[in-house]
This record gives sequence, structure tokens and C-alpha cells, in this order.
Amino acid sequence: MLASIVSLTRPGRDLRVDFLRGLALWFIFIDHTPGNLLGNLTLRNIAFCDATEGFVLLAGYASGIAYGRLMERDGWLPTAAKVIGRVGTLYVAHIFLFVVFTAQVGYSAAALDQAAYLDELQLDPFGQEPYRAMLEALLLRYQPAFLDILPLYIVVLALFALALPLIGRPMVLLGCSFALYAVTRALDFAPPSWTGSGWFFNPFAWQVLFAIGVVLARADPAWLGRRFGWNRWLAGLAFLALVGVAVMLNMVWHGPARGWEPPEWLAAWLIGVDKTGLHPARLLSVLVMTWLIAHLLPADARFLTGRWAAPFVLMGQQSLPVFCAGIFLSFLGRLAIETSAGPWMQAAVNIAGLLALVLVGVVSAWYSGEGRPKRPGPQPVPSLPAASRGASP
Amino acid sequence: MRRLAAPLLLALALGLAPSGVARAEPIACGAPPEALEAAPLPGAFAAIARGQFRVLVVGSASTASGGTSSPDHTWPQRLKALLAVRLTPVVVELETYGARGSTAADHARILATEARRFRPHLVVWQLGTVEAARGMSAEEMSEIVQDAATRLRAARGELTDLMVMDMQFSRFFRANANVEPYRDQLRYAAAASGAHYFSRWTVMKHWAETDRIDLERAPREQRTAVADQLHDCLARALTAYILEGTQRNRR
Repeated sequence: MLASIVSLTRPGRDLRVDFLRGLALWFIFIDHTPGNLLGNLTLRNIAFCDATEGFVLLAGYASGIAYGRLMERDGWLPTAAKVIGRVGTLYVAHIFLFVVFTAQVGYSAAALDQAAYLDELQLDPFGQEPYRAMLEALLLRYQPAFLDILPLYIVVLALFALALPLIGRPMVLLGCSFALYAVTRALDFAPPSWTGSGWFFNPFAWQVLFAIGVVLARADPAWLGRRFGWNRWLAGLAFLALVGVAVMLNMVWHGPARGWEPPEWLAAWLIGVDKTGLHPARLLSVLVMTWLIAHLLPADARFLTGRWAAPFVLMGQQSLPVFCAGIFLSFLGRLAIETSAGPWMQAAVNIAGLLALVLVGVVSAWYSGEGRPKRPGPQPVPSLPAASRGASP
Repeated sequence: MRRLAAPLLLALALGLAPSGVARAEPIACGAPPEALEAAPLPGAFAAIARGQFRVLVVGSASTASGGTSSPDHTWPQRLKALLAVRLTPVVVELETYGARGSTAADHARILATEARRFRPHLVVWQLGTVEAARGMSAEEMSEIVQDAATRLRAARGELTDLMVMDMQFSRFFRANANVEPYRDQLRYAAAASGAHYFSRWTVMKHWAETDRIDLERAPREQRTAVADQLHDCLARALTAYILEGTQRNRR
């Protein structure tokens, strides 16, 4: 079965990107089912950044490849129209997931019947003003818990449609992007939200990660290799820093219960390492990881074309349907874990969840795969440059 | 004579607190020991030594009632009763400010006025549920706690210990609100303010998973009785935590 998945993956692109994107999508599914024991093993437990950062960076990368080629061929308006079409698809997907979310919350509220216990949970905006909440959700001004990544993606992609003319001038693009990031952070600039506490992910800050992805995709790999070449000492330092952060975070989280009090200044600093505005420590963390992975995992690594990586490569290549399916499945996973969080249910949710995600990838690849030559089985990556074949943003 | 009596009282009160294995069961209803690991509580220690211990409790709905059969069965009232028994002859006074839907900012205002008037030796601050349910900013919540702790320290110094208490565990809550960032932020806030962190979430999760107390799955007719039991056990766990903290001061 895995061999036939290999035949559905598209060769000729940087499979590392697809593989990591697939992995990020799987992590997002896991992190969106609270109570899932695998949630203790995902990136967020050991680093400032988590799968969301990886997902946005790689979405930028894939968009840089796909729309960059379109831009060269058709110019701004047709490409921008394509991007806006994509934004429309994402918007519809988000509203669909919002409806599923409200149905799921309604179902579990009835099933668990929490009554007087924790009646404050009914103070959520949807519970208090459902009609208004519906309107605010359509305006993206109301985003319930765990439904915050698609709104981010929608705004970032719309900004990308505006920034397309800069795609040939990476330094200007990066400059504008960093300027917006800096202004956003300095002035607490945020899109409006109904509840008044802002978006969970501020798109004006997070766009910087997407822009970095776009520029990385458009850059000449040889130039990138020279500019950000391998340095053993730097790599050692980067590795130590990542391990240091992992140890520090876990000491602060779990130290007090084991008799170790973290220093007050450290905890005070951690309060400010916000996810909403993509704190520089988070940005740095994901960029350092990217640099390490880019060097430690060669683009022609054998395992990337092998059968065990294939499901993730495929998921990464079919990212939008897999992402939406992941959020949808996480609702079902939550209902299941609410019923029981025992080992059998944990195994069932995770096995069924991953299988379903791969299946969505398979169906999507098969459905959109017309016109592509079928390959009999695993084959080495052709030595074409990454940008020469199609990519789905 | 009073000077002599105080250490004697304290030794009596704390010396009677059984330690180790004996403490874990029935006193804290089998709460996981790591959740009861407390750092020294100098304010509480000194107050108990002087024979008068004032506790101020601020929080939201579970502090106000939480589905119990009467106000006397809420965890703050049970805490008062248990502490009074365990610390006899120390006089234990406890005041509670709990309101449904109140947030960290509301609590900080209460603290600012009541701490000056009541001069507590221990403040138990229960928060996080409303913020998480409404999706309010977790960082702002932490900053409010940090500011309030700084003001409390400026006014009361070492005389008052501050304890932050997180949300009640609930499968529904866990599934439908993004609870973890709020718990992380509460941990940071406590550590940044030199406050103690009592994880009600951890304790209640343990009780629910070991089928000891599971309010969410209790049949409707037993719910009030189970809520009473839950609040009593929470108060027992808190008592164990507080006594552990004061014991540490003695060592």
C-alpha cells in the first residue's frame, strides 16, 4: 500500500519541504486534539515555535514556487486573481469548519451536560450571542479556539497578492515584510476582533515568516548554499541553543512541582514571548531549525523517496485538503477523547486520524493527478531544480 | 510569655501534621504528591507562629459556589474549617471574593483594596477559566497577575504569601478551549512574581482519571453531593499544600 502512495507523490520538487509540511500537518492535527498523549511529543513541548510556524514558512515556500512561476509567465493581475481565488477557497473552508465546530461544541455540551459545574464555560461569545457570533465569524472578527490558523492564512495570502510585484526583488520584499512586522509589534497593530483581545495569530506579524518562505523558494539554491553555508561551530552553537531552550522551558513548566524555582526574571521574560505577534525568539527558533534541517537532511536523502516518508510527502503536497481534513478530524478526535482518554482510545484516535489524513491526501492526489505520467514505483529524484515543477501553495 | 508560647504553638500545630505516606491518603484525597510540592510560605509561617492566620480568597464562579449544596461546602469555607482544625489553637480568618465571570483584572482590583484592609497572610487567587473560555489574551492575564503581585509585595512585603490557582479540570473545557497556553502563562506569572502555583487542574485531572471524583460524569441526582466532595477534597489538598509550605519554613 505504501508503495502505491509513493507513486502518487510528485517528483521533481524539494521533497524535504513536502515531507516537513506533511509532518507539520500531522502535528497540527495532534495539537488540535487536546488530551491526546502524542501532544506531549510535538515540537511545542521543546521549542518556542511549533508546527504552525513550520506550516506558515513552508506555505510561503510553496506559494513562492507556484505563484512565482505564474507571475513570470502571466504577470501580476492574472496571478493575483489566482491567489485571490485561493483566498476564497480558504475562506469557504474556514466557514465550513466553523459550522462543524459549533455543531461539535453543541454535541459535547449536551453529552457531558456540565450544568452547574464550570458554568463559566457558557460565557464564551458564541454561547452568549449566537446570531452575532455567526456574523462576526463571517467577518473573521470572531475565531473560536483552534480555528485560528485559516484566518491567518487567508490574510497572509491576500497580502501576498498585493506583494506579488516585489517577488522579483527579494530584498525589497523582505524589507517591506520586516518593516510591517516591526511596526506591528511596536505599535500593537492588529486586525479588529469582536472580543477585543485581538487575533490568536496576528497576520501582520506572521506574514514575515511567509515572506521568508517565498524568498527562500525564489532564491538560487547555490547562492543560498554559499550565503548560509555549513559551519560546524555555528551548527554546534545552534544545536546547543535549541537544547538549552528545551531544558529551560521544561524547567520553568515542571520545575516548581519538583522543588526547583525558576528565576523570576526568566519567567517574566517568558510571559512576553508571545505567539500572537510571533515574538522574535519564536521566529529565530524556527529559522535556526530550518537552517539545521536544510543542511543535515540532504535534498536527495534516500528515505525521502522511500515508502515510510511517502505518506507525509503526499500529505505535504496536498496540504490544503489535508489541513482542513485535519481540523475536521480533530473535532471528531476531541469527541472521542472526551468519551475516554484511555490507551485504546488514544491509539484509535491517532491511528485512525493519521490513516484518514493520508487517505485524504491519496484521494486528492488521485483526483487532481490527471495528465501526470504514472510511475511504476519509487524512483530517484530527477536532478531538476526544485522550482521547475508545479507546487500547490 | 507570648514570645515563648508562639514557637510552642507552631511546633504543636505543625508537629501534629503527619508527614510522608500518612499525609497523602485520606487528608488530600489521594491527590498526586507532585501537585502538593510547596515552596516555603514565610508569611503563613510567621502568622501561624503568632497565633492568627488570615487568608484572602479571590476567584470566579467555582470560588463563589461551584454547584455545591451550600456556601459552607465551597472549597474556601472547607479550607477555613480544615485549617482551623489542623492549626488549633491558631485563629483562622478567611474572606472570599468570588464572582461568576470575573476576570484577572476584576480580581486585581479587589486585591488592591481588600489586601490593605484585611491584611492577609496568604492570598489564594483562583483564575484562568473565564479568560480561556472567552479567548482573552493570556499574556495580558499574566501581566495583571505580575502587577498585582508587585503591588501586594510593596504593601505587605514578606507578610503575605501569594498563591495562584488554575482552572478546574474538565474534558469539555479541555476539548473546546485552548487551555494549555493559559496554564503556561499562569505558571510563568506565578514564577515571575515569586508566587506559589497550586495546580487544581492537575489534581482534578488525576481524580477524574482514577475515577475518584468525576463531576462531569456524575449522574444528575448525585451531582451536588459529588460537588461537595470535590470541594472538600480540594480544600484538603490545599491544606496539605499550605502545611507543607509552612513545614518547609521550619526546616
